[in-house]
Amino acid sequence: MQHLANLTELRGGAAEPAIAVDGLSHVYAGADGGVAALVDIRLAVGKGRFVVIVGPSGCGKTSLLMMLAGLRQASQGSILCLGRPMPLPDPQRVGVIFQEASLFPWLTALDNIEFPLSLRGVPRAERRQRATAMLSLVGLEGFGERYPHELSGGMKQRVSIARGLIQDPPLLLMDEPFAALDEQTRMTMGHELLRIWSTTNKTVVFVTHSLTEAVYLADEVLVMSARPGRIVDHIEVTLPRPRRYDMMATSLFGQLRDRIWQQIRKLPDGA
Amino acid sequence: MTRTQIIATRLALLALVLAAWELLPRLGVVNPLLLPPLSQVLGVLGDLIGRASVQEAVAVTALEVIVAFLIAVPLGAAAGIVIAENEYLSDIFKPMLFYVFSIPKSIFLPMFILLFGIGFQQKVAYAAFTTGFVVLMSATAAVESVRADHVLVARSYGATPMQILWRVYVPSMLPFLLETLRISMIFNFTGVMIAEMYASRTGIGHLIANWGENFQMPQLFAGVIVLSAVAIIFNEAVRALEVRCSTWRT
Repeated sequence: MQHLANLTELRGGAAEPAIAVDGLSHVYAGADGGVAALVDIRLAVGKGRFVVIVGPSGCGKTSLLMMLAGLRQASQGSILCLGRPMPLPDPQRVGVIFQEASLFPWLTALDNIEFPLSLRGVPRAERRQRATAMLSLVGLEGFGERYPHELSGGMKQRVSIARGLIQDPPLLLMDEPFAALDEQTRMTMGHELLRIWSTTNKTVVFVTHSLTEAVYLADEVLVMSARPGRIVDHIEVTLPRPRRYDMMATSLFGQLRDRIWQQIRKLPDGA
Repeated sequence: MTRTQIIATRLALLALVLAAWELLPRLGVVNPLLLPPLSQVLGVLGDLIGRASVQEAVAVTALEVIVAFLIAVPLGAAAGIVIAENEYLSDIFKPMLFYVFSIPKSIFLPMFILLFGIGFQQKVAYAAFTTGFVVLMSATAAVESVRADHVLVARSYGATPMQILWRVYVPSMLPFLLETLRISMIFNFTGVMIAEMYASRTGIGHLIANWGENFQMPQLFAGVIVLSAVAIIFNEAVRALEVRCSTWRT
């Protein structure tokens, strides 16, 4: 855990991290005293970094993300997103993208993207203009009037990403966003996400099961243990950017993936 | 089959049934006292429609149907939503409701007569009672159809509880509720009919029951035609609303 503490210093010391989590623990209430879900989580995510969290099912990755988003409160510890705590969701600071695209089936793609703005009463013309811009950012020009059931799985997730980006939050939390997609679409979407990330300069925290996806996308990978979840390893991905598909064949890529795999394999429940 | 062919086949089938209705009694294959020929029924129908007493009966029945529907739907829906959304109420009432739902409601008819007499109020109360149950059960299911991830998405974008109700719950439940409207209209109409046929002084149901008891078959069949027409009009009115509201369905 020592290297975690050093991380901020390495990256220019005084600069405030985008996310700072300290001593975070969570216990789910239950009849027999409850279940410990997270234990003493500490992490610091630098501004503009792409951080991936991997870990076995049920390790509390999603819980941690929900807490960062202000959708759930931890039993203990502190979370600072851009220097302020998250007692409630704050969509202008933190955008969340969920595992299922979770689009509203009764709204068109554009209306889905506009949804966060319409909650805040942004005028219709402005909403439409911003949503259209988002739609082309995610490569879906011309699909704005389609309903979700008329879109493929990858397209739905693109719409969901556009919805997450429309308020231009500096922080983007992504909970296994590509888990439901086939392998090919998943790789394409990962690549697309990197392209969008590099043009928007956001800080991203991305949760996944896939080691390949983790190494391909990340600046840093955090490995979590099985329940109760704690962070057991922190890996700097030193692959150059922009990432290219052929980097997956390099020995560095293999070594990084192997290191994560070794960490996960050591865990009691395996992955 | 093309659309034209389908419509042509339907019309041919209808013509066949009507022709059989006309010819079988006339040829003596079916006893004309039990099934009068169509032409005779239509003659009686024309005569009946012109009569003030029949017009009044139709108006009474229609009013009973509408009033019972307007009472049963909002009450049943509100009760269903409240029960489904509240964990305690759910635990307490749901099993009981399922048991009561399985009991044929018509056995309660004598109690409604004792409480409300045999007039307008009793018809409305009984029909609203039977329909309210259907609406309540469907509304409960409709609430359960609201997806947790949709609510979570709305919350993550800072939606207030009222926004979650109007922007997530209502549109999620709408297809269910519209379907419920149509089914509950069928139950509602049946409720009014049963109440009218069991004990009444007016209404189409009452007239039909009377004609049956007096063996006036042409009148009885004419009454069935009138009643069917009214029932289909009500059902189609609800369905037109349903189609309009649910283009985004699935």
